[in-house]
Amino acid sequence: MIRLTGVELRRLTARRITLLGVAGVVLITAFLLFVTWREAEPLSALEQQQARTSFEQDHKMWNDTHVQNEAECRKTWDPNVNPGANIDQVCSYSEPKASDYGKPQAVFSQLVPQLLHGASYFLLFAGFLIGASFVAAEFSSGAIGNWLTFEPRRMRVYGSKIAAAGLWFVPLGVVVTAVLTLGTYLIAAQLGSTAGTDWSDVIGTAVRVVVTTAMGAVLGAVVGLVLRHTAAAIGLVMGYIVLVEGVFGAFLQKVQPWLLGKNFDAFVLHDTTYDIEACTSQPDGSYTCDYIQKTLTFEHGAWYLAILTLVLVVVGGVIFQRRDVN
Amino acid sequence: MPDLAISTRGLRKTYRTRRGRTVVAVQGLDLDVPVGGVHGFLGPNGSGKTTSIRMLLGLIRADAGTMTVFDRPVPARLPEIVGRVGAIVESPKFFPAFTGRKNLELLAAAIGVPKQRVTEVLEQTSLGERGKDRFKGYSLGMKQRLAIAATLLKDPDLLIFDEPTNGLDPAGIREIRETMRGLGDQGKTVLVSSHILAEVEQVADTVSIIGHGRLLASGTVAEVIGGGTTATVKIGVDDREAAARVLTAAGLAVRADGNYLLVDGIENPAELTKRLADQQLYVNELVPIRADLESVFLELTAGEGLA
Ligand SMILES: Nc1ncnc2c1ncn2[C@@H]1O[C@H](COP(=O)(O)OP(=O)(O)OP(=O)(O)O)[C@@H](O)[C@H]1O
Ligand SMILES: [Mg+2]
Repeated sequence: MIRLTGVELRRLTARRITLLGVAGVVLITAFLLFVTWREAEPLSALEQQQARTSFEQDHKMWNDTHVQNEAECRKTWDPNVNPGANIDQVCSYSEPKASDYGKPQAVFSQLVPQLLHGASYFLLFAGFLIGASFVAAEFSSGAIGNWLTFEPRRMRVYGSKIAAAGLWFVPLGVVVTAVLTLGTYLIAAQLGSTAGTDWSDVIGTAVRVVVTTAMGAVLGAVVGLVLRHTAAAIGLVMGYIVLVEGVFGAFLQKVQPWLLGKNFDAFVLHDTTYDIEACTSQPDGSYTCDYIQKTLTFEHGAWYLAILTLVLVVVGGVIFQRRDVN
Repeated sequence: MPDLAISTRGLRKTYRTRRGRTVVAVQGLDLDVPVGGVHGFLGPNGSGKTTSIRMLLGLIRADAGTMTVFDRPVPARLPEIVGRVGAIVESPKFFPAFTGRKNLELLAAAIGVPKQRVTEVLEQTSLGERGKDRFKGYSLGMKQRLAIAATLLKDPDLLIFDEPTNGLDPAGIREIRETMRGLGDQGKTVLVSSHILAEVEQVADTVSIIGHGRLLASGTVAEVIGGGTTATVKIGVDDREAAARVLTAAGLAVRADGNYLLVDGIENPAELTKRLADQQLYVNELVPIRADLESVFLELTAGEGLA
């Protein structure tokens, strides 16, 4: 099994689509860093001057008017117009803050989770695609039949392919997340701020991205094996995204905690939120809807992904064990 | 040493087609392949040769029946003997974008054979330098050679070739034939499937003939053909009408074939020439027409209502 896994790793490395995939990942990584750098660049002196001027204007206006405005507001307040509203909230005129004018500063601890989260999607996709084609190509070319005349123990053959797909993507995931993290750190250190960085958070996120990348490759290999064609595997994913995540998820908001997308986010971001529309009829006969924000926990996401992967790997194994190979 | 390389009993496989119809590909096949020498596995298209071979190799599951390879029940104990079995099933299939050499190197690594063996088998099958080209650019003959090279990586005792000469030119056919004969002479067992008797009878020591997924005859080539039919003889004679009259009178079935006569059911052609010579009719040409596989088949299967 170890020997077979080694052979499969060699084969995966020698495939052209693997190289193309890696080239794509490198390009996207470079692009993400470029965009981050552009975003982090501070405003020019002229733009800063403009921002300061408009702040000063607004602040002066506020100074001149807020006392009077507030008094007016309280005087005309009619509690029946807007039942439930709080007079202190409605009639407060907050002071403009200088930091709201111009471009916000690039802060490493805020940028890096976003960036890694974005990277997790394309790494997942790259893993899935390369993993799927890695195994599906054997079935569409028929080479698997020849392979099995050399190693007829199907579970070993299956295990070695799955393991190779997953293992191959670990170093890639490590390199990409490391480059993104360090790149962003350098950018923030130069152009913004690296204050308040909790490295254990950052590393935790990066590790989770590596895990989901390997998971994507494993799932790709399983789906490629079951469907036997790369195109079919991609079609299945597209169909799932559009129909289940898109249409079904939009109409039945309550299923969101059971969709792959939200659980993926919950795992990578360590908790995520989703909105549920809650509508009620008011005593006055009006019908109002509010969005209630709910949290999907990291644990939920982790269990969801682990069980999903395990179930698919087992199902794929059973199918391969019983399948007639031509 | 077991005396049977392959043995099957009551082997059966049914396929379900897309439209839900069932096709019985192999129905109760009892096949025995002795150890050593070349064994022809003959049958017309669709008679279940490839299906049987796939079952032996554990690629597809049998619905019923038992199989042994070197006395080990397969597929259960296939892993024990797979190192002694090299097989090419239908057309050779490798990773198309990899070179022939890369394909062999991966297979060699998978079974723990040293890399230098790859160079050796490439030389043996005269692929040599072409091993550096991609498999998808190979001609059919080169693909076959690469497949043979792959089976030789293991130095197997049993080689299974499924229609190895499909699509080859005469030189290629002869080369494969010589390879098989050579392996047989080294004491290896070669099972070669084909639907062309002529292709196999020159190399095979023994044959099994199947039709509709069951065994119709087996034994040495001579036994099988001889046992199936008597020969048809084509004769050239000046006065064909007179000759036809004489032979018909002797109770033989005579047909005209251009400038020749065809006489069926002849066991000893000498008898035929004597009979005609007695009537001053001299045979200037006599060609025994061999029973080909098809006629053996038709004969073998006629009574069963299968053909
Ligand atoms: N995967 C399959 N699905 C459905 N039917 C099949 C399948 N493979 C083979 N068959 C059917 O099983 C029968 C036997 O096929 P098989 O390929 O074993 O014949 P064969 O003797 O090898 O023929 P050939 O000389 O043409 O190679 C045929 O009727 C074929 O149509
Ligand atoms: Mg066949």
